[in-house]
Amino acid sequence: MIHEIPNGPQLFQGGSIATESDREAKRADLLVEDGVIIGIGPALGIPEGAEVIDCSGKILLPGLFDMLVHLREPGREDEETIQSGTEAAIAGGFTGILTMPNTDPPIDSAAMVRFVQSLARENARIPVQTAGCISKGRLGKEMAEIGDMHATGARLITDDGSSVQDPNLLLRAMQYARSFDMLVGSHCETPMLNGEGVMNLGSMSYKLGVPGMPAISEEICIERDIRIAQHAGARIHIQQVTTSRGLEIIRRFKNEGVAVTAEVSPHHLLFNEEHLAPDYNTSLKMNPPLRTEADSEALLEGLIDGSFDVIATDHAPHSSYKKNMDFMAAPFGILGLETALLSLFDRLIKPGRLGWDSLVRAYAKNPRTILGLDEATGLKEGASLNLVIFDPEGETQITRESLQSQSHNTPWLGKTLAGNVESVWLGKTRLI
Amino acid sequence: MPTTCLLTEADIANKIRRLASEIVEAHPSGPLGFVGIHTRGVVLAERVHQAVTDLRNEPVAYGTVDISLYRDDLDNLGTIPAIKSSDIAFPIDGRNIILFDDVLFTGRTVRAAIDCLMDYGRPSRIQLAVLVDRGLRELPIAADFVGLTHPTTREDHIRVSFTDTDADSEEGVFLL
Amino acid sequence: MITRKDLLDIESLETSEVEFILENAKPFKDLFTRSVKKVPALRGKTVLSLFYEPSTRTRTSFEIAAKRLSADVTNFSVSTSSVVKGESIQDTVDTLQSMKCDYIVVRHKASGVPGMIAEMTDASVINAGDGFHAHPTQALLDAYTFKEILPEMKGKRIVIIGDILHSRVARSTARCFHKLGVEVGFFGPGTLIPDAVPEFIHTFRSYEEAVAWEPDVMYLLRLQLERQKHNFLPSLREYHQTFGITHKRFQALREKGTWIMHPGPVNRGVEVADDVMSYERSLINQQVENGIAVRMSVLFSMQPRVAARALGDSGESSS
Repeated sequence: MIHEIPNGPQLFQGGSIATESDREAKRADLLVEDGVIIGIGPALGIPEGAEVIDCSGKILLPGLFDMLVHLREPGREDEETIQSGTEAAIAGGFTGILTMPNTDPPIDSAAMVRFVQSLARENARIPVQTAGCISKGRLGKEMAEIGDMHATGARLITDDGSSVQDPNLLLRAMQYARSFDMLVGSHCETPMLNGEGVMNLGSMSYKLGVPGMPAISEEICIERDIRIAQHAGARIHIQQVTTSRGLEIIRRFKNEGVAVTAEVSPHHLLFNEEHLAPDYNTSLKMNPPLRTEADSEALLEGLIDGSFDVIATDHAPHSSYKKNMDFMAAPFGILGLETALLSLFDRLIKPGRLGWDSLVRAYAKNPRTILGLDEATGLKEGASLNLVIFDPEGETQITRESLQSQSHNTPWLGKTLAGNVESVWLGKTRLI
Repeated sequence: MPTTCLLTEADIANKIRRLASEIVEAHPSGPLGFVGIHTRGVVLAERVHQAVTDLRNEPVAYGTVDISLYRDDLDNLGTIPAIKSSDIAFPIDGRNIILFDDVLFTGRTVRAAIDCLMDYGRPSRIQLAVLVDRGLRELPIAADFVGLTHPTTREDHIRVSFTDTDADSEEGVFLL
Repeated sequence: MITRKDLLDIESLETSEVEFILENAKPFKDLFTRSVKKVPALRGKTVLSLFYEPSTRTRTSFEIAAKRLSADVTNFSVSTSSVVKGESIQDTVDTLQSMKCDYIVVRHKASGVPGMIAEMTDASVINAGDGFHAHPTQALLDAYTFKEILPEMKGKRIVIIGDILHSRVARSTARCFHKLGVEVGFFGPGTLIPDAVPEFIHTFRSYEEAVAWEPDVMYLLRLQLERQKHNFLPSLREYHQTFGITHKRFQALREKGTWIMHPGPVNRGVEVADDVMSYERSLINQQVENGIAVRMSVLFSMQPRVAARALGDSGESSS
């Protein structure tokens, strides 16, 4: 259901608006004309000729932005395309995403950036930002053409999928990227410590009898990468933090004034290693892995106190064939876009453990600010319309048929989550 | 449903004495072996063995079998039963064997016991001694030595209690 | 009493179920001295041997066990060259389901595969060893062997020595002994003892400490000779000197009368000095013999799922 909004004012009446300043959503109406917000307030009158959209009982959210999405185009279009991935994003309440460069071929040059951007312009109904690789071919040896990629509009460089093992390469890339004010993103792990590990190293990996990845693998890499950024005077963004010690390290550097931002995923907040027994559920196999319950608790604290700037899903589609393999062989990664908002609402916001303010800050505002986008970052007068209408009383069943993504590797498959994304509005267009 | 006592403790003792003398009359000499079928057949075999040992000069060998592994209805059981050891320490070949069971009914248990016995060796003859024959055979099996013949219907239930195996009830054979 | 389709690990068994399987193993062992070692209990049933990892000993043990129960045994050859890493288990299971096997005995190098197969099939799945996760029949035969010589198990002590990290035997055997009231200790190189072992396990820092605990049994794990390559150990020579039962240590154990167990096959000169193999108190051969009886008990105790089940007069003597 896509339609251009008719000219004339629209009044979104009776709902509550979620903002970065209040835990609860506050009663307010929204008046929009020509795709621009012209009024916000508790009881706006109905202007003449206005279309009234009844939002009673609903939450009005700014459209969300996810900074870590794997669209499998080019390379694995059987698992996800730019189109199916962005439709999944819209269904999940996202009006913007940053796509990762670990495609096949990887996005390590301006030509590739342009290619992906043009595909996105043709096939996506929401803006798709591109990240570029730090190294050529994502091989971790030689620096990619960061300047050229920046000029073409790449927003962040990362070798995500992998960490940068060579500290000298990382340092040079940061020093070089500094001149373009290009943000460096870091996937933090120490592969030689992780070895063949497929989950967190601990009592569960013992119990399930599989090799584990120790927490220190992430922790020492976070320490190293931020130190290098500090030394280089560059901005760094730590992707997918999963350990409580890793979070402490980030806090320490933030207190020292280092330009570091950090990210957490919904599933690391909601799941832990115990959920892997006894089924060896491959829809909970990811890298970095689920850690202990204590880590999840600490990560939530970090989100609430602002140590985490951003939530991002690391949306990673994989074909059912691959995920049906045994736990050792199945690839790492799970879907996230269509269930992020719902699962955070169902498990954290609805029970009162997390406020709407944290969500708006970490999932609508900060990602855009960090990436320097001048897309609207909130529901404010004068801003272009970028809105999700969310029904807190509804519920959503996650099934193969209901998922927009081409893949189905989510732990929520077959489950029902509280809440429902009712409609998504971007500028003059209603997307769903 | 009223319970009728078919045999009292004293009756059982009498039956055992009679079985013993019938057996000795049929087998005054020669290699003889008694094999009791678990669970209550074992008690019967033990008691008859005791009585026969008093009557006969030559010793009578004694063993037990658990037919769980030879049942024809293993697929239909809800739960798997615990098996007891079968214990036949004497050579079976060329020996007269008397199988003992408490109640002869369809004949399937005895069929299983015969198969089990055959896996131990080749007896020269197998006979069957039972305390009660309640009829309703499903296989061509007959007892050679019977304590009590009491025809029953399918709905009837015969309960045998020995102090050795059923400590909390009085000894006897009952029709329910 | 047992009502279970699959045997996947020790963890999911109730202590009463463990005891039941061990109790039922004795009558099976008694059969071995008969001239006819077979019973017809599983006559006409098909047992499929699905071994993704090569193993002559365990596979043969299961095969003999199944045949002594009069079952028909087939080996489903999974040629290692044609099994691509991460072959979809579903494809194999679909083939097996169409063959309507009653029992599937599975060994796989990836933990969790027997469980996956059990979910997908009506057959009874017996785990013959998966990854480092579990080896329940080994644990049960170890417990049976222990119980034969030390019938009063509660309060006795066993130390498991070696590469615990990579050992499914250590995990299952420790859990099984714990369920039966035996105290369990682990000893081995620091690289091969996981940090997070279950609380009931005593870990020892040195051989002397382990011996001072006065174990009744020393259980030695087989050391995979490749561990050296991944920096778990500097050399096998050093392993033997520090963690193995050297000739000198053996003399001391012999004096104490400590029993020795090993899941086999033994690496002589690594886990044990040569002379240990002829020790009167070595239970290694009994473990093998008991393995067949215990596996017979396991096969007898598990029930495949059958579409329509006639409810028999269970327990009532249909004599």
